[in-house]
Amino acid sequence: MSDTATVLVDILKYTIVAATPLLFASIGGLFSELAGMLNIALEGLMGIGAFFGMAAAGLTGNIFIGVLAAIASSVAGSLLMGAVTIKFKANLFIAGLAINLLAGGITTVLSQWWYHTKAVVAFALPSPLPAFPAALARIPFVGPILFSHSALTVSAWLWAVGAAFIIRNSRHGIRIQATGMNAQAVSALGYSPDRARMAALVWSGIGSGLGGFALGLSISAFVPNIVSGRGWIALVAIYLGRKKPLWIAASCLLFAFAESLSNYIQGFSSIPPLLVLALPYAVTLVSLIAAGNKK
Amino acid sequence: MPAERELRGPARVVLAVGVSIAFAAGVLALFSQDLGSALSQFFLEPFSNRYFLGNYLADAVPLMIAGLGVLIAFRSKNFNLGGEGQLYASALAAGVLALRLPAGTDPLALWFWAALAGALTGAAIGALSGLLKAFWRVSEMISSFLVSAIIINVSDFFITGPLQDPASNFQTTRQIAPQFLLPRILAPSKLDISIGLALALILVFMVVARRTRIGFELKICGENEEFARYCGIPVAAYQVAAMAISGGLYGLAGALLVVGPQGRVMRGFSTGLGWSAISVALLAQGSEAGVVPAALFIAFLGTGSDHVMIGSGVPSEIISILQAVAMLFITARALPRLRRRRS
Repeated sequence: MSDTATVLVDILKYTIVAATPLLFASIGGLFSELAGMLNIALEGLMGIGAFFGMAAAGLTGNIFIGVLAAIASSVAGSLLMGAVTIKFKANLFIAGLAINLLAGGITTVLSQWWYHTKAVVAFALPSPLPAFPAALARIPFVGPILFSHSALTVSAWLWAVGAAFIIRNSRHGIRIQATGMNAQAVSALGYSPDRARMAALVWSGIGSGLGGFALGLSISAFVPNIVSGRGWIALVAIYLGRKKPLWIAASCLLFAFAESLSNYIQGFSSIPPLLVLALPYAVTLVSLIAAGNKK
Repeated sequence: MPAERELRGPARVVLAVGVSIAFAAGVLALFSQDLGSALSQFFLEPFSNRYFLGNYLADAVPLMIAGLGVLIAFRSKNFNLGGEGQLYASALAAGVLALRLPAGTDPLALWFWAALAGALTGAAIGALSGLLKAFWRVSEMISSFLVSAIIINVSDFFITGPLQDPASNFQTTRQIAPQFLLPRILAPSKLDISIGLALALILVFMVVARRTRIGFELKICGENEEFARYCGIPVAAYQVAAMAISGGLYGLAGALLVVGPQGRVMRGFSTGLGWSAISVALLAQGSEAGVVPAALFIAFLGTGSDHVMIGSGVPSEIISILQAVAMLFITARALPRLRRRRS
């Protein structure tokens, strides 16, 4: 293969890897968005999932237990947010900000306590379960791009397909959507909008937890600020995708491509890396504006 | 009978302050080897001498200024989440100006231009999110956060690249000449005369809010946007203005830090200040005067956390946890009753 082709394969392969956390989190956030709640805590919930997931996986040497811990801790965070906003009638955005602050504080303090560092905590983990037989990954060009990924990466796509199904076809999903459109009508029909909202927050907790864990797993480590804005990028993916799972997935791929490209440029060009680091945010900002409705 | 009790403003403040202090004690009990000395480091040491007291008050100054801006934006229902970047970029603008002006410049003129440069930089960045909200219906929370993320990277680049002090091992700009730093009060602490400016600003904003049409219309925009439109109030202009004021005050806070306590712009200049200002505005409960005690309280949590880190090795990031707890309680509007009585 020529050099250009190798580079292209690398960039596209990493695009799929970088899309995984975004896809998990944005599809999770879609549920709360549909229930009428802009969940700005995705960022913090991802951080919680990354930390507790990696800590549990590191302790047990079992990635599956890591997945469970990531989901449990992130859902706990989203339940706290739900309790405060729904039971205690708190402002959703302020509660979300508080969760983000809490996540940053708790993960850094516990990292210092358990691992005696506020910097990188590396974990030696068993290599992740491949999703496809090795023979497929050897197909030139498409093999490494599409078939070299872990089971977790592939489950992000299953998660998106599953969520699309739940949202459209299940009574549960339809109630969540109806709550976002007209909570009074839902209430008049004898269903509880608050329960639908709480359930939607739990979904976003599950997605963020998985997304955070995928992020940790991709570098086999935890660093404070590991999420570095991906929770917000996931939110923008919901808007850019017009709240449709398929288009959200496409938006995640776009943002992941920007991230992958920026990683590549950092290593192989004379543009200062710090400026290149701003690229994914810039692409996200432009997308956010493009997704807005001009008056 | 409702299933919950309504929580009024004062009750929320007392609850938030009380619970975050209790939480601080709890966290210290968990993480420190010697609870007694950790508690005294957190609660007493900041007030134990002139130096610590002055440094503590100095930490409250940017919180007062930036918190005031967040409060004004809140009043019109605009949430500026880009404070970190606004403060950082503005500090850099003010710092570059202070480093470029000739050594013979009148210090008063330099402070004026540096403060103006900072305020305008912050205001321009804030206004961008206001414009996007007013004309493209883009959430100002998300756009201000993203713009801030971009700006932080770009500012990092300037500080570690073209503006790096070649003589320093730190990632920082050069030091501003000592005659250009704001005069200190309570020396040797880092408290300077900017505390007077902060208090004066709060007074000015109080008068504007209560006595002028602008202040009144801004409040109407926040209370009922539809009604404001119906009354012919230019809502879009107030959205942009609110975000610009909020960004501008973040910028002013950053500029005053550069020509004051910091004296240069280091990489990671704004760490946490952008978020702390939001806690301050929330605790102030919509009152400009309330910004002063709120900033003093949040600065106290921060200073206390720093003292236990130095004294007892408890990570100073506990400040984030304490602030989060204060935020959660200040925003709770109701206490659910434990047992539901007659329905």
